[in-house]
Amino acid sequence: MPTRLSSGRYSAVAQAFHWIIAALIVTQFVLANLALDLPLGVHKLALFARHKSVGMTILMLAVLRLAWRLKNPAPPLPPGMSPLERLLARATHTAFYVLLFAMPVTGLLMSSAKNYSVSWFGLFTWPNLIGQNEAAFEALRTTHDWLSYVLFAIAVLHILAALKHHFWNKDDVLLRMLPLAKRRKL
Amino acid sequence: MTKRFRMAFTRLLSLCLATALGGAAGAAGFTADPSQSRLEFTGVQAGAAFKGVFHKFTAAIDFAPDALASSHFDVQIDLSSVDSMDKDRDTTIRGADILDVARFPTAHYVTRGFTKTATGYSAVGALTLRGVTKDVPIDFQFTQSGAGAKLEGSAQLKRLDFGAGQGDWKSTEWVADAVKISFSLILKPRS
Repeated sequence: MPTRLSSGRYSAVAQAFHWIIAALIVTQFVLANLALDLPLGVHKLALFARHKSVGMTILMLAVLRLAWRLKNPAPPLPPGMSPLERLLARATHTAFYVLLFAMPVTGLLMSSAKNYSVSWFGLFTWPNLIGQNEAAFEALRTTHDWLSYVLFAIAVLHILAALKHHFWNKDDVLLRMLPLAKRRKL
Repeated sequence: MTKRFRMAFTRLLSLCLATALGGAAGAAGFTADPSQSRLEFTGVQAGAAFKGVFHKFTAAIDFAPDALASSHFDVQIDLSSVDSMDKDRDTTIRGADILDVARFPTAHYVTRGFTKTATGYSAVGALTLRGVTKDVPIDFQFTQSGAGAKLEGSAQLKRLDFGAGQGDWKSTEWVADAVKISFSLILKPRS
């Protein structure tokens, strides 16, 4: 099976990266919010441990995805989009890529600053990037929080844009990222 | 004197000498210099190791390589001086479910006997922690330097043997049962 189709659809590899990482990001929001509601204890520790393992999984996938994306450009945007829409689409996609790295890296830095080394599902331990530092931890936590709000906001924008393309513009922008969808006849 | 008698006499003389020397070389008394000594523990939390230290402890060390029978360690650890470089974790460790320092402020380790090993020495001793007394062997090296000495070693214990983990903390899924203790004590002669 070719990894990139000439039809303008996203390839199977691109779709796999997109949907797996999207699902992991949703998991991250759920785990983080469940953990933050808990008092100090085993359950909080367990949820954050999973949050960290999933976060490091996203970081590793982000490296692969970026490398893959640089070699395999995305299909072109559909004709008829205004320059502003094109700029907004590019900016959103670039921001996603930046956040795919920034979220896990600030998370790993947070753990380092708090002297809680990050294990990847108990299989191996990531190195601490910085030494224990309470002030740095607080600053990193604020950064990690704000980046998560930005991520949430652009995810909402991204979903609304996909729906707008599908239902308003009636183009194939949404369908070309859906694994089982047929290409819409334009 | 016959040759036989001379041999017996020599043997007797050397035996007396050895006894006299052995008696003179009793275990020397030391105390750990708190500013240079370090008592550390390593636990495993969510699959990743973390280290902590106890800042306050006293160690009365009577030890001599040639007088193991009269050697003796007595170590008292102020458990509230725990420092794992995170205040949340320290609060949890001091709390009722882990060390319960409010009820059991100190841990106490007393040796019962020593043996020479291939790399150094081994001690058998009893650790009293959280109201439970249980044997914990330690392996160590002893290096004399001038009037003082350096004592470096380690031990392994299971936190649940001492009840250090009640309620949810009884589970070993997220916090391992095994805890490694390591120490580096700078010893000064005890006055």
